[in-house]
Amino acid sequence: MRRFLFAAAALLAAGPALAQTPKAPDGKTLTIGMAAADVSQLDPFRATSTQDKPVVSWIFNGLVRFKPGSTSLETLEPDLAESWTRSEDGRTWTFALRKGVKFHGGYGEMTADDVVFSLKRAADPKTSSFSTDYAAFDAIEAVDPSTVRITLKHPVPSLLGLVANYHGGNVLSRKAVEALGNDFRLKPIGTGPFAFAEYKPNESVRLVANPDYFRGTPKLGGILYRLIPADAARDLAFTSGELDIVYGRQDQRWAERFGREADVTVDIVRPAELALLHLNISHKPLDDVRVRRAIAHAISQAQIVQFKGASVTEPAVSIIPKGYLGTDDKAPLPAYDLARAKALLAEAGHPNGITITAIQTSLPTMLTAMQIVQGQLKKAGIELKLDVVDHQTFHAQIRKDLSDAVYYAAARFPVADTYLTQFFDSASTVGTPTAVTNFSHCNAADAEIRKARTEPDPEKQKALWKDAQVKIIEQVCAVPLSEGLQVWAHRKTVDYGYDFKGAIHLGPVITEATDKK
Amino acid sequence: MLQFILKRFLLAIPTLVAVLTVVFVLVRVVPGDPTIVILGDQASASARADLRAKLGLDQPIVVQYLSFMGQIATGDIGRSLTTNRPVLEDVAHVLPYTIELTLAAVAIGVGVGVPLGVVAARRRDGFADWIARIVSLAGVSFPAFVSGILLLIAFAVQLRWFPVISTPRTGGILDRLGALVLPALNLGLLMVAYVTRVTRSGMLKALGEDYVRTARAKGMPARIVVWRHALRNVLVPVVTVVGLYLGVLIGNAVLTEIVFNRPGLGKLIVTALTQRDYSLLQGLMVVSAFAIVVANVLTDIAYGLVDPRVLAQ
Repeated sequence: MRRFLFAAAALLAAGPALAQTPKAPDGKTLTIGMAAADVSQLDPFRATSTQDKPVVSWIFNGLVRFKPGSTSLETLEPDLAESWTRSEDGRTWTFALRKGVKFHGGYGEMTADDVVFSLKRAADPKTSSFSTDYAAFDAIEAVDPSTVRITLKHPVPSLLGLVANYHGGNVLSRKAVEALGNDFRLKPIGTGPFAFAEYKPNESVRLVANPDYFRGTPKLGGILYRLIPADAARDLAFTSGELDIVYGRQDQRWAERFGREADVTVDIVRPAELALLHLNISHKPLDDVRVRRAIAHAISQAQIVQFKGASVTEPAVSIIPKGYLGTDDKAPLPAYDLARAKALLAEAGHPNGITITAIQTSLPTMLTAMQIVQGQLKKAGIELKLDVVDHQTFHAQIRKDLSDAVYYAAARFPVADTYLTQFFDSASTVGTPTAVTNFSHCNAADAEIRKARTEPDPEKQKALWKDAQVKIIEQVCAVPLSEGLQVWAHRKTVDYGYDFKGAIHLGPVITEATDKK
Repeated sequence: MLQFILKRFLLAIPTLVAVLTVVFVLVRVVPGDPTIVILGDQASASARADLRAKLGLDQPIVVQYLSFMGQIATGDIGRSLTTNRPVLEDVAHVLPYTIELTLAAVAIGVGVGVPLGVVAARRRDGFADWIARIVSLAGVSFPAFVSGILLLIAFAVQLRWFPVISTPRTGGILDRLGALVLPALNLGLLMVAYVTRVTRSGMLKALGEDYVRTARAKGMPARIVVWRHALRNVLVPVVTVVGLYLGVLIGNAVLTEIVFNRPGLGKLIVTALTQRDYSLLQGLMVVSAFAIVVANVLTDIAYGLVDPRVLAQ
């Protein structure tokens, strides 16, 4: 027994050695609590989940960048490129790169070769989840070590957005990607204000300040990104002061509760995730547009917003989120009209109502939203059966075309094209080899969506997008439900160094100017 | 003794094969698609199909099963589908946390449960007995996440004695012990409840036995009669409870690990399951099944220590 106790004591003593962390850097560490059990990907071309994107934004730069705190394409500013020119026909873009920018981890100076490598990698479906965004890229060349030329198949008015510090626009080190291979996904090398230091599965990601950052040495020493899936534990850790910044809940009561605390600021920011109810037109009785219209008239956006809370939810304006390039914020949405809904159902031959089934995730915010819709539809005689499954099962099954209606909330690259292509172009229909997330089998505006993609005149392009929205709403491929904003909170000791109104990366941008008192 | 241990491990092989087969089948019966986690929700169906082919997930299930078993037989438990890290590396990261938590919970369970059970039996229906009954009732009634949050609010948020996030920020022994106290108490509470009950009822029975009466009649001090003679016999069922408890610990530890945000085998299993990371999940099951086998062998050894007759058999 004594020997056993000795072994136990030895194990306990050995524990710290096994979990030894590298020495903390000089300067203060900013601690951020995120609602996730783990990160999945830190390779910017694969990172799509809410927990992965903020980390990527602290490590990488693009040729241009979204102004910290903003999600608008209008506010793009130089990043790794100092300046750029566009040819008369809009098809050739030439970027002059900043000189002397160093990659983290001794991977040397950033050159045109790295930019060409990165953009080509972003355009390759084998290495990037955003390859379709780069379909218009014809050639990407290094003119000299500090000049990059992009030739397009047709003009892309929002091209700068594609080379911004977001998704495929991030610039990676060619040497690092080649040297690290598969490991790059969890050992990212960029040029940003913070460098990756350590990843502990299910626990945390630690970054350290990059002293060679081209905008200056960061004021903070590093960032500790803690992964805390349990809501209660995360809230308690923030309350006790163990976290400086916390991912909040899209919940009015949460925002109010922390908003009352004297030393806390609650940040409710864009982009909003637009929640749509996609109606599968290949399933009966939803193949009848009158039935789909009846559903649209039976849903009250105002009630959903009221239930979810007006400070964290806004009414949807179209089938594309508000504020995207090309969103028609005066799109003709069907008004809430219960009598009309019932009349339409009767007209379609369903005077006693209909029953439809939706596969639904058990994630609370998404489930409660759908339960509100369920209650609303019931009043019009529409029985919405919810087949509640865990989140991964939900994702797998909705892609197998098993659901009559799909509740899906998402934010995308802020250009109408992305949302229209992924959700409403018939090429993206689920069940096909080119499937993305067209759950409704919508094909109402294929011509407009595809034409807009190659339309050189920005005004004509917007007109095409507007027509596409009108047609999709007219055919009721999807019913807009509401827009949910991102909720974060920070202690007042944290100074972001900019006005935090939006976060294209779904989390606060931590820059060289961010400080902690 | 060595032969006994070796035999136990050999007997465990068919158990491991059975467990792995069940796990393999179960994770594939549950719908889900790891490519959604790996590629995100904007990738096209063809990109997903390519990745599934690369990961071998498009192979017939029998082929996948045989290749998985073959791999395990060579001692390779594979790489995580989502992070591509060797599963063994992830296990090595969380295992010290799990071992620490288990040992601490057992120490609390036995350290508090046995004396409490003995005292309760000696002072039946007295004050100590009431305390013991309340503790054991509370221990089995409180779900681990409720007791966990109560402990956090009291000792971490209000008193600030311990951290809310029970992941030590440094590798220092004090920091590590500080982070261990609340989760160990939470997990230990359930064990205190069971150990107290078993000890109390065993003691009540033992105190009425002839050998205790004889010892008393000989004029032996009560303390020695109770703690040396009677308790020794009571310890066999206590060891059984502890052994069983080790087996179900992973299940119980999940909630504790989640509430206290502490890495561990249980939490990693849940993550692997929610991400449909088949290879990580299978690897973790191999390790867990093996851990349970080891726990059983340790229990048997403990029987021998408590009651030498067991080894003689």
